[in-house]
Amino acid sequence: MKKLALVFALVIVILPMLAGCQTAPTEGNVTDDLGRSVQIQGIPQRIISLAPSNTEIVYALGLEDRLIGVTTYCNYPAAAQEKPAVSEYSNVDIEKIVALQPDLVLADSIHKIDVIPALERMNIPVIALVSPTLEKLISNIALVGQICGQDEAAKSLNQSLQDRIETVAGQTRSMPDDEKQRVFFVTWHDPLWTVGSGTMINDLIEKAGGLNIAADLEGNQTMDLETVIQRNPQVIFVLSSMGDQDTSYNYILNEPRFQATEALKNSLVFRMDPDIFGRTAPRIVDGLEEMAQDIHPEVITTGAR
Amino acid sequence: MITANYGADRGPQAGEMALLLKNRRQRSFRLYSICGMSVALVVIAILVLTIGSVNIPLGTVWKVLLSHLPLVSINEDWPATTGMIITGIRLPRILMAGICGAALGVAGATYQGLFRNPLADPYLIGVAQGAALGASVGFLLPWTFLGSFFIPLLAFLGALVAVSVVYLVARAGKTLPVTTLILAGVAIGALLMSITSYITLISDDQIHGIVTWLVGRFSMSNWEQVALAAPYIAVGIVVILIFARPLNVMQLDEEQAQQLGINVERTKLILLAASTLITAAAVCFVGTIGFVGIIIPHAVRLIWGPDHRILLPLSALAGALLLILADTASRTIMPPTEVPVGIITAFLGAPFFLVLLRRRKKAVF
Repeated sequence: MKKLALVFALVIVILPMLAGCQTAPTEGNVTDDLGRSVQIQGIPQRIISLAPSNTEIVYALGLEDRLIGVTTYCNYPAAAQEKPAVSEYSNVDIEKIVALQPDLVLADSIHKIDVIPALERMNIPVIALVSPTLEKLISNIALVGQICGQDEAAKSLNQSLQDRIETVAGQTRSMPDDEKQRVFFVTWHDPLWTVGSGTMINDLIEKAGGLNIAADLEGNQTMDLETVIQRNPQVIFVLSSMGDQDTSYNYILNEPRFQATEALKNSLVFRMDPDIFGRTAPRIVDGLEEMAQDIHPEVITTGAR
Repeated sequence: MITANYGADRGPQAGEMALLLKNRRQRSFRLYSICGMSVALVVIAILVLTIGSVNIPLGTVWKVLLSHLPLVSINEDWPATTGMIITGIRLPRILMAGICGAALGVAGATYQGLFRNPLADPYLIGVAQGAALGASVGFLLPWTFLGSFFIPLLAFLGALVAVSVVYLVARAGKTLPVTTLILAGVAIGALLMSITSYITLISDDQIHGIVTWLVGRFSMSNWEQVALAAPYIAVGIVVILIFARPLNVMQLDEEQAQQLGINVERTKLILLAASTLITAAAVCFVGTIGFVGIIIPHAVRLIWGPDHRILLPLSALAGALLLILADTASRTIMPPTEVPVGIITAFLGAPFFLVLLRRRKKAVF
């Protein structure tokens, strides 16, 4: 039965697309963040987002009317929860996507191996957005704006984001290293998972006037407790788990061996919202401002929020 | 080894004399082996205390250690963090690795003897799968007020419940057929593991925590964990050692063992309970570390033979040694990040085991 439905859906979706292919493509090719060359036909009117960050970008660009599918984790803005869910983040309902007949799917790097090839076989254009730096986020917002014919909205959004980023970065850029604070960013406590270089979090720490003590590691990594104690972080950020679980935060606060660090001595342990720090969306700039004020309370973030 | 070495062509007296001498020689060999292994264990534990991702000079390590001995007064000329790294991080971690290795080694040897099956390991009848399910449920539940002992507690309970269910399912009247026990264990284990896999899949941002729990780690081991796990493991190992002789006799055949005056069913139950308890006590804190429980008993058997009176204590010592070495590798080969200890045990254990197998080239079990 399922197969039959799939074949049926295939026929429905592919036939018009094959027909579409016969006319010469008018739009150019786009290269996405996984290095894939994607051809976009016309201006997409039916968009599906496979990541909460992409949903936030779509809303920030005023494209919500064209958004026809989201994930169960898309909770911002609240209105996104009203949209039909096609995915539990990594667990994607391909049939449902095909049935919704999207003309653009905004994916994430986790969809590289199975979801993207499956959608490609259905001739559904997929663009993966991966933003390991603020600059990359800005260019991805511009890309979505350009593809969807919202260049102006993207430009003004990016202008305001860039202004706010520069307000913070401008104040920390000239700081000598000894004024910057050693920062440890914890994503799980047992073992200690942290975030190294090549990540958005690392970029935020640097721009907020911090020195990431895990900068010698790359990406998400565990870090030996004795190294953490030895490097003596002055500020500790703990990413809360979804559903407001504060297991890791409470652990760090109560673990006797952490009491020797300057961060604990000065009560500079902060709980970070995973919906902001775990998503590369415009709100990450709120995160940058929050981080900057936690690390350097004297830093002014005017114009914020 | 159940010696049936009576000299057939000699007189009874000569045979008895030979046996007596052989027994005495064996006993002293046993004693030397156990003593030698214990000394090696202590020496290596102290040696690995001096290495870690933070470089601390050897002399400082010694001074810190000696300063904790009674009647020794040493001027504290090292930073407070150095002292804490040695006695607050490395020492409990090494001890935890040692006691967990001992537990897994002994439990593996006991299961292999009990089931007379070379493929048996401590996780055969559901301890690991039960503990893993308990832990992963703990990752999902929002009851954080229960603190850092919440997940170990659930893992411990999960392990005991899983094995109890397997036991109750497999029991036929007053006896416990070993094959039924293994099959029930495999079936229930597979069921529990699939639930754990599902929880891992939907756990999303907790996935790092669950996966590192499953491979096993000593990263955050502390004195509290040592103090909680050690009593269970010590008592369990002592109980198992007391039953080393009955376990030897049971290698023949359960019926024959019964005729030789051993209460087979009671022995089985006690040994199962004790090895389940020590495995659960280890696994609930450090996760399901693989390979130790299966490779250590075999390696010991290859070198020292199948007599449980020597196999069990040496499996404890060798298990402790392997896990201490594996954990040292885990925290030192790619500093400052850690390589999961379960992966190291496989890398250290499997080739060593294969070399032993090749050298012996005869059936060992």
